[in-house]
Amino acid sequence: MVFAAIVALAVVAGLFGSMLGVGGGVIMVPVLAIGFGLPIKTAIATSMVCVIATSAMAQLSFVKRGMTNSRLGFLLVLASAAGAVLGGLTAVLVDGRVLQAAFAAVLLYVVWQMHRGSDAVAVERSGPLGAAYYDPTEGREISYGVRRTRLGFGLSIGSGNVAGLLGVGGGVFNVPIMSVLMGVPLKAAIATSNLMIGVTAATGAAIFYGRGYVDPSYAVPATLGILIGASFGPRLAACLPARVLSIAFQIVLAGFAVLMVVKAAGGAL
Amino acid sequence: MRAPDPAGLPAPPPDVAQTLVERLVERLLLAAIGVGVTLMLLGVALGIAAGDGLPDAVLPVSGLPQALTSWEPAAYLSLGLIMLMATPFVRVAGSLVVFALAHDRRYVLVTAAVLAVMCLSVLLGQV
Repeated sequence: MVFAAIVALAVVAGLFGSMLGVGGGVIMVPVLAIGFGLPIKTAIATSMVCVIATSAMAQLSFVKRGMTNSRLGFLLVLASAAGAVLGGLTAVLVDGRVLQAAFAAVLLYVVWQMHRGSDAVAVERSGPLGAAYYDPTEGREISYGVRRTRLGFGLSIGSGNVAGLLGVGGGVFNVPIMSVLMGVPLKAAIATSNLMIGVTAATGAAIFYGRGYVDPSYAVPATLGILIGASFGPRLAACLPARVLSIAFQIVLAGFAVLMVVKAAGGAL
Repeated sequence: MRAPDPAGLPAPPPDVAQTLVERLVERLLLAAIGVGVTLMLLGVALGIAAGDGLPDAVLPVSGLPQALTSWEPAAYLSLGLIMLMATPFVRVAGSLVVFALAHDRRYVLVTAAVLAVMCLSVLLGQV
């Protein structure tokens, strides 16, 4: 039964999407488009609703654990939301193959940076965006400062644009922007990205809903499954060592980059 | 002792505002998710009861009141999805209020700008 299959798929997407702060669109869009034969815009619209559900559910847990940096999240989401409006329109109006190829290259560069271990954290809490949270795996409070705020803001405009274009929450870009570039610990970056992806996806989803691309026969079971999966993802993120999360994130990034190259080259989706 | 701000009130430390944001957000998100899920499950039940399965198109917002009173499954599914899609708006609006109460002008402006961009996207979707 299609309903049950979509729910099961969404549980997995919600679990990993919330655990890594990527929202689950990375999984939902290709499976819905290729596996279930949905038109790409319907798959993207369904994914956007899923990303919002992931964000809402994950926030309940991450905020309670103090891992979400709300100020940083809202600052960067301002950039990505502006980019998403442009991206949502772009998806409706134009072909984005060139942009896909360019971002695939950026993602592969990010994987290389993360693999090198350049996510060194500024341990001193400093500036208005600095924060702290308790990490259960390390058994202590992690304090940090935020650096390169302007560059992170600029890059978030680009991430929001691609999120609107491809129906992903933008977390694949948000997390490395915060952790690799701005010096935010990976767990705080994941939690904050979970805040950002909901806002970013909401701006795009409103456009898709208004234009009739949201199909309840897919969006509803997907949402219900996502909510189940995303209720467990943050617990895993909090309890797993940061190194394990980093490796998992690199795998997702590399896979996503390959997918974008395939799409840009062959237009399979 | 902290220096009073121009309004004569001591400026609260950032963590106080952050905590308020978090508590408010938690309750609002939980309520929105709960209502949204309930509506969607009701829509699924109505679709199964009618024997037609789930509809493949959402209803426009303007058509929802009449469709809800007619117990159309699409109306409840659409409203449930809208409730969920509204959670980020609630999140941002709630934070805007809390930042304003905390006299955190910079983040009042930031969250107001985020809300403005989101509202713009809704308007674009209606075009």
